[in-house]
Amino acid sequence: MPRKPNNSRQARALLAALLERSRTWRHGYDLSKETGLRSGTLYPLLMRLSEQGLLESRWEEPERPGLPPRHVYRLTASGLALARQQELEAIAAERAGALA
Amino acid sequence: MNAASGRWRRWAVKLVQHAAGVLPRTPSPWADAMQRELAYIEDDPAAVRWALGCVLASYKVRLTHWPRGSSAVVWRHVATGGALMLMIGLALQDHAGGQTAPPRLAVDEAACNSPDVSTELGSGTAVGVRRNDDSPGAGDPRSDCNDPSPAKDADTPSSR
Repeated sequence: MPRKPNNSRQARALLAALLERSRTWRHGYDLSKETGLRSGTLYPLLMRLSEQGLLESRWEEPERPGLPPRHVYRLTASGLALARQQELEAIAAERAGALA
Repeated sequence: MNAASGRWRRWAVKLVQHAAGVLPRTPSPWADAMQRELAYIEDDPAAVRWALGCVLASYKVRLTHWPRGSSAVVWRHVATGGALMLMIGLALQDHAGGQTAPPRLAVDEAACNSPDVSTELGSGTAVGVRRNDDSPGAGDPRSDCNDPSPAKDADTPSSR
């Protein structure tokens, strides 16, 4: 059976975090702290989601002077659809586990 | 910012710069993203951890794009990364003062053992008997230890 793309535990954690505040642009370090993913795992995931058109990014001007612009991310429409689908699947799996 | 803090920050910057060089299609926005994120991490150990993760991330991404790159370039980057990590390891060891074992006890346990005394209930008198009397000098008191044995001044049956 072929493995579903973006269905690893880390990818699901990242998609869930991005879905939670889907309208907000998120920073890499904040996402790392929220999901517990190290930068070594987080950035390859962000790059892959971006290449697949599931994530959009832009540069955000710093709030304080002296700091560089920051790369920020949020889900695209297709990314949102995938994240919601995964969330529903997780809920269904949780219910099935509770009934069993 | 103290000297050690500045040193760790410099290491973190060097590592992220190396990561940026490893990433394919440099200059990449992702390389800039990783480098600039470092400026927002105030904690130095966290910055070094973040930078190490960035190096790992860049190698992961580089390896997924392996056919597009020359293997010589990749191996050059691997060698540079290895050398950097080795230097960080050595620096960490220096920082620990070369300490590889837990500190030893300040008390020399072999110098003054507690007296080997066994009590014998005879005529109501406690008599000290030294064990291992076969060995030469076993009965000799050590000059550097005060023997608290109660038998020292006791009246032994043989002396009666």
